Amino acid sequence: MRSFRGGLLIGLAVAVLVGVLAVIYEFYDTRTLKRTVRRGEVLCGVNKGLPGFSIPDDKGNWTGFDVDFCRAVAAAIFNDPGKAKFVPLDASERFRELQSRKVDILSRNSTWSMARELDYDLYFPAVAYYDGAGFMLPRSRNKETSLDLTGSKVCVQAGTTTALNVSDYFRANNMKYEEVKFDKLDDVVKAYDTGKCDTLSADVSQLYALRLNLSKPGDHMILPDMISKEPLAPVVRQRDDDWMMIVKWTLYAMINAEELGVSSENIDEALKSKKPEVMRLVGTEGNYGEQLGLTKDWVVRIIRSVGNYGEMYERNIGEKSKLKIPRGMNQLWNAGGVQYAPPMR
Amino acid sequence: MTDYRRLTGAFITALSLVLTSSYASAQQPDRGDEPGLIADDAYQLDPEWQKQVVYFRTTEAPGTIIVSTAERHLYLVQPGGRAIRYGIGVGRDGFQWQGLVTITNKKEWPDWTPPPEMIQRQPYLPRFMAGGPGNPLGARAMYLGTTVYRIHGTNRPDTIGTKVSSGCFRLVNNDVADLYDRVPVGTKVVIRQKPEL
Repeated sequence: MRSFRGGLLIGLAVAVLVGVLAVIYEFYDTRTLKRTVRRGEVLCGVNKGLPGFSIPDDKGNWTGFDVDFCRAVAAAIFNDPGKAKFVPLDASERFRELQSRKVDILSRNSTWSMARELDYDLYFPAVAYYDGAGFMLPRSRNKETSLDLTGSKVCVQAGTTTALNVSDYFRANNMKYEEVKFDKLDDVVKAYDTGKCDTLSADVSQLYALRLNLSKPGDHMILPDMISKEPLAPVVRQRDDDWMMIVKWTLYAMINAEELGVSSENIDEALKSKKPEVMRLVGTEGNYGEQLGLTKDWVVRIIRSVGNYGEMYERNIGEKSKLKIPRGMNQLWNAGGVQYAPPMR
Repeated sequence: MTDYRRLTGAFITALSLVLTSSYASAQQPDRGDEPGLIADDAYQLDPEWQKQVVYFRTTEAPGTIIVSTAERHLYLVQPGGRAIRYGIGVGRDGFQWQGLVTITNKKEWPDWTPPPEMIQRQPYLPRFMAGGPGNPLGARAMYLGTTVYRIHGTNRPDTIGTKVSSGCFRLVNNDVADLYDRVPVGTKVVIRQKPEL
């Protein structure tokens, strides 16, 4: 009898131990998707205030391209873009904060570079916005390309990669120029606005934002050329593949939706489409959503709440928005740009 | 003397147009082509539709025209990954088309003879209208292949960026004149449409 009771106790102890271990394992599970689902919201690391990309209004409502992308991820998972919670992060801290799990995803105008992936053990799943250093100048100068800028006085912020890029570019093309440097961006803009230099160089997305604050914005234009590569991308942690796959394919689904002509306006028609590519996208054929750990209609959820890539672009930074950045490089690959999503098949 | 009379006439017509347009647009925004009198230079296009040089990557040779119906933009391909982009008005739904054509003819201040199928749809249209400022074809026309379609100017700069035509592509007169001087007969024109679901 004694041995039976003993056995029962040991069995019970083992069962409790296994239970406790399972709870601990579940709790400390490092997989972001699981933690996000348990929490019921996606924590998005965003810029504190960058017009067009991520900025809160006085009521704390966030708008912008980076903000909308995070909402798309939340919509794919929870069928509710409101389940994205925004955590403003400083430029200097952003990668460390992602690494230390303060946020699930960084959607904060961050340039994808090899060093950043290696130094912080991070992964940039796909390019959301192709940016690069460029030039703003008065329309009256009547220039069409940055190769015409030889002999220019170039206003630039000291100590930035832009200053280095400008120097490399002019040297590589055998062009003379005069650098007019200031430590503060405000001073750079003021100098340009008062005619102390012929052109202002910064990242193109930034130039469009800076133009809004000039005394006569309409008198200035931004050249279409870019002299450096600044691919802005969302960021996730390495070795977190389920999560990385969701972030990557959320962006690619939005780009593919635009290419296939699927938008928030015609998503109901798209659900009736008999075109195989459209059917796979909206989940009326195949089970890609389920394979990602989501539902069949994950793309429909994204498109209904945020729209396709083009809609997200136009609403926040495109020519119908305040910023008025032409699609340029961010146009689809078959319409003059380089935005290219792998097929969903 | 005649100048004054014309000016007054234009003013009265413009005024009545402004007065009726709010009613008309509420009633029937889809007007199609009809003679009108709004002068090009009195109208400020949105930046989106203003002529500008943009980044444009393509395998088509410089000098080719690419029309994007969905975007309402016309691109004239330039060397070095650039294009001159113009804002255009395109065909109404059901009047859009795509394909590859060439410019077969060019005319300044063209006369307008609406084709029979257009008269049938819009019987109120004139059978013939001499070229000039009030003409819906505007300052220039470039004929597309053997089709009835043209790239042309307009007397309605406010229709740039919209879907109103019967399949033609319209630019404001300043832009169409600029394009006209840049492209010879024989220029390749690629017309792209939005994909169908």
